[in-house]
Amino acid sequence: MKALYRFFRSVRLAVVLILVLTVLSLLSTFVPQGQPDQYYKARYSAFAAGLIAATGMGRFFSSILFLAPGFLFTVNLGVCAADRLVKRARTGAKRRYGPDLIHVGLLILIAGGIVTSLARQEKLVWMAEGDEAALNRSYSVKLLGFEFQKYVSGAPKDWISTVSVTRDGKPAIASFPIEVNHPLRLAGMRIYQSSWTMEGAAHLRDAAGALSVAATGQGFQEGDSFWYFAEVRQPGEGSADWRAMFEEWKGDSLASTRTLAAGDAIGPFTVERVSGRLLTGLKAVRDPGFAPVIAALAMIAAGLALTFAQKRGDVAA
Amino acid sequence: MMATIALVLICLAAALQAAFLLRKGGRPDPVSHWLLAAGGALLVATIIQRSIAIRFVAVTNTYESLVFFSAAIALLLFVLRLVLNRGAARSTGLPPFVAFGATLVAAVLLMISSSPVAPKEIVPPIPALQSLWLVLHVTFSFIGEAFFVVSFVAAIAHLASRSEQKRADMDRLAATSIGIGYPIFTAGALIFGAIWAETAWGSWWSWDPKETWALVTWLIYTAYLHTRLVRSLRGRVSAILAIAGFAATIFTFFGVNFLLSGLHSYG
Repeated sequence: MKALYRFFRSVRLAVVLILVLTVLSLLSTFVPQGQPDQYYKARYSAFAAGLIAATGMGRFFSSILFLAPGFLFTVNLGVCAADRLVKRARTGAKRRYGPDLIHVGLLILIAGGIVTSLARQEKLVWMAEGDEAALNRSYSVKLLGFEFQKYVSGAPKDWISTVSVTRDGKPAIASFPIEVNHPLRLAGMRIYQSSWTMEGAAHLRDAAGALSVAATGQGFQEGDSFWYFAEVRQPGEGSADWRAMFEEWKGDSLASTRTLAAGDAIGPFTVERVSGRLLTGLKAVRDPGFAPVIAALAMIAAGLALTFAQKRGDVAA
Repeated sequence: MMATIALVLICLAAALQAAFLLRKGGRPDPVSHWLLAAGGALLVATIIQRSIAIRFVAVTNTYESLVFFSAAIALLLFVLRLVLNRGAARSTGLPPFVAFGATLVAAVLLMISSSPVAPKEIVPPIPALQSLWLVLHVTFSFIGEAFFVVSFVAAIAHLASRSEQKRADMDRLAATSIGIGYPIFTAGALIFGAIWAETAWGSWWSWDPKETWALVTWLIYTAYLHTRLVRSLRGRVSAILAIAGFAATIFTFFGVNFLLSGLHSYG
């Protein structure tokens, strides 16, 4: 037991484990993460794809390759931190709390990271103006308005989703503008401005007079062509009209594109009406690991500052 | 225009330092640090001018990052020269070779900023970049990395030197630089970076290639600091780690931007 304790309190072991984690982590950045096995088989040689599958390099940060040295490092860090505290208490050596704060902070950071990876939840909700969505059993949000601000160049300046919040059916927040970098915080949950899209609908009538509605992202087969409803556009700024853009795919190749208005024909259909509406993508996140992480980061920052101040004091002395 | 004048001043400083390095006696030149101060001030003025134009702190693309990084190195060298060469410390001072090497790094970064690799158009930031946390993240990271530049050159000098005294001096300078740069880099790259990521995307860590490389850089310097606690690892191993740390710093900036894609692919 003593030998094990001596092994884990070693600074040399810390250096070796840090370097092992360093080398493995940097290697992992050259392998696209989280892809299916077929992806690696298609892009790498049989040997490399086999190696990636066997070592788990494609999901490196949840593989044994990372978790095993990570676990040993955590034990090493914990034993070193405890050893420092015990030794100082026994010998009454000079008090140096900076490294202690950093080491304990790192342990809390690792614990927070584990909690985040196991318990973090997120939910993406697409909403149009007037839509209401339940976030959990108590809270629901209603989209009062969505604004897409642009610079003169046309580049995005801001996306603002103004929402109201109800709790158990009663008004909780009358109006809150959710922007990128300005999430709404609700009892342990945060709502982020995550995305936006233009949802289109094309009303198509066939030769028999039957009406069907295609949404963007849908399509239909005509002979050897597949017509894909890619997006809707307005012909001019502030125009009330909409145009539907269809792409003709033959196998994996884009053969043609067509922009259609009401009355135009495509395949067996005649376009009767095209409409579009702006949707905002709001992301609700619950991460019980973030509070300990923030506490850990504050401890690490304080530890670094303290260590620096103590070193400066030593040099001055 | 200001950045071009700054490049000329920094190159002049490097030329002057090189000329004095070749003279016997190894005395530092009396002018180059003022050229560096002027160059650094012009680069800061460039950042301020662009900030006024975009109504945000202009550290949001590759060009602005390179200009800020060069300014941080130039101004750090000026301050180090003043601090280390004054009073009782005059006998040691900022070694001319370290000043020259770090000036060269600042000049190379500025040359890259003037190449097509870094478009110079003044572009206002996309929504994700409009955050005070981003400004703290970028500025603290580069100020920390400016200290790493000094440690990198000192580590090379340590490995190249035959004099025991000079090796010890260079080892001490590299350790001091990393000792100061490490907490600043940790605050910028990891702490402020994590808080910004949480505020912008709702995820404080994503294992994005840039994040992973920033962690790799931090781990190398962490290993460096721990080698200082083991007598047999001090010196050569420490110096190799200081050089590897700087290589990781540069790859985190350029390699990830141009070779790997991810959340940070804008700058």
